[in-house]
Amino acid sequence: MTAPSAPPADRRLPDAAYRRMTLVLRVGLLTSLAIVLASFFAYLLTNPNATSGQVLSSNPILTYLSLGGLAAGLARGSLEAYLTLGLLVLLATPILRVVTGAYYFARGRERTMTAVTITVFALILFGLLVLGPYIR
Amino acid sequence: MELDLFVLLLFLVAIAAGFVGSLVGLGGGVVIIPVLVVLFGVSFPDATGVGLMTILATSSTAGASYVRERLTDIRIGMFLEIATVPGALVGATATVFLTHANLDDLLLIALGVVLLSLIPGSIQRRNEELPQGVVPDRRSQALGFAGAYFDQPNQREVRYVAANTDPALGVMFGAGVVSGMFGIGAGVFKVLALERYLRLPMKVSTATSNFMIGVTGAAGGGILLAAGYVNALVAAPVVIGTAVGAYVGTRLLPRLLNRTVRLIFLPVVVVLAIEVILRGLGVA
Repeated sequence: MTAPSAPPADRRLPDAAYRRMTLVLRVGLLTSLAIVLASFFAYLLTNPNATSGQVLSSNPILTYLSLGGLAAGLARGSLEAYLTLGLLVLLATPILRVVTGAYYFARGRERTMTAVTITVFALILFGLLVLGPYIR
Repeated sequence: MELDLFVLLLFLVAIAAGFVGSLVGLGGGVVIIPVLVVLFGVSFPDATGVGLMTILATSSTAGASYVRERLTDIRIGMFLEIATVPGALVGATATVFLTHANLDDLLLIALGVVLLSLIPGSIQRRNEELPQGVVPDRRSQALGFAGAYFDQPNQREVRYVAANTDPALGVMFGAGVVSGMFGIGAGVFKVLALERYLRLPMKVSTATSNFMIGVTGAAGGGILLAAGYVNALVAAPVVIGTAVGAYVGTRLLPRLLNRTVRLIFLPVVVVLAIEVILRGLGVA
């Protein structure tokens, strides 16, 4: 790349964007850890005879990886379903951060950055909803 | 082994990994992945899936603080995710396919090599001096890749601009592949791209790398979770333990001798890396 004459303009995002992203990361992390912790301890208490061999030989959340399966599991109070929910909230936390960024870039009418962040969001969803289930 | 004991051991190891990982800047995954494989008998793709869940937690913990302190360059970080995210999708998919092809041993050897390659980067003295004479490239110019932060030790605002955007995108793609394939944050590679290519100040590079690790982890972790390679009963104690360890480590950081921790921690990583390679070669 050749050197342009002037330095790039300092186009910082508004303070609200920083505050909102901090909030998204904090709330998402704490919510997910609370759900995972509560459902995991409840699982240990209700499965006193389980062994590590059983845990390593099967994944108890496979049933809950579809939206329908997860909703049904949550409705009947399945601890494995709540554990899955906790992990999904953990996964959703940085994704929500991407959405927050896209919102502020769009509000600032920054077309390239908006397109980039929306593409990143779409790629993550593609991996989660299409590629992952396809290669299972 | 009884599940209670298994979980307790996992939890304690995860606390230790999160604690020392946060102190030396390598993240908990570098210890957790080989430990899960070697000591706990977790399969390679399952360990990778758990590792990616773990880095989501540690990245969100530290990432929130750096964003609040305005050390993170959100604009540059979010732009470079256009390279790390496809990289992570490729890496995680490759792990699943290589596992299906019964090439787990190859993955173990590659993991060991990657772990060993991280060591020099973490030993090198961090360049705390501010980059001078940086000439922004056209893309940096067009997208406004410039910023400023308040430097506490020097009590002044530091301004910076970014250069070499396109080569940095290439390094970031590679960092994404490593992250998705092995379940680690690959922060060493991300910092390399941000500091050496984009020529950002070290503090901004570290904070922005941490910010990006979560989204890279979500891309790879999403694939492995959906593909059934995140065992929730293994992930739960590891994620909680690593988050607790990283939180305590971050709080204690100013009071501990970083060098001492490195001297203890890095040989452990070397031993684990060699153990993983030997296992991949069918020797261990």
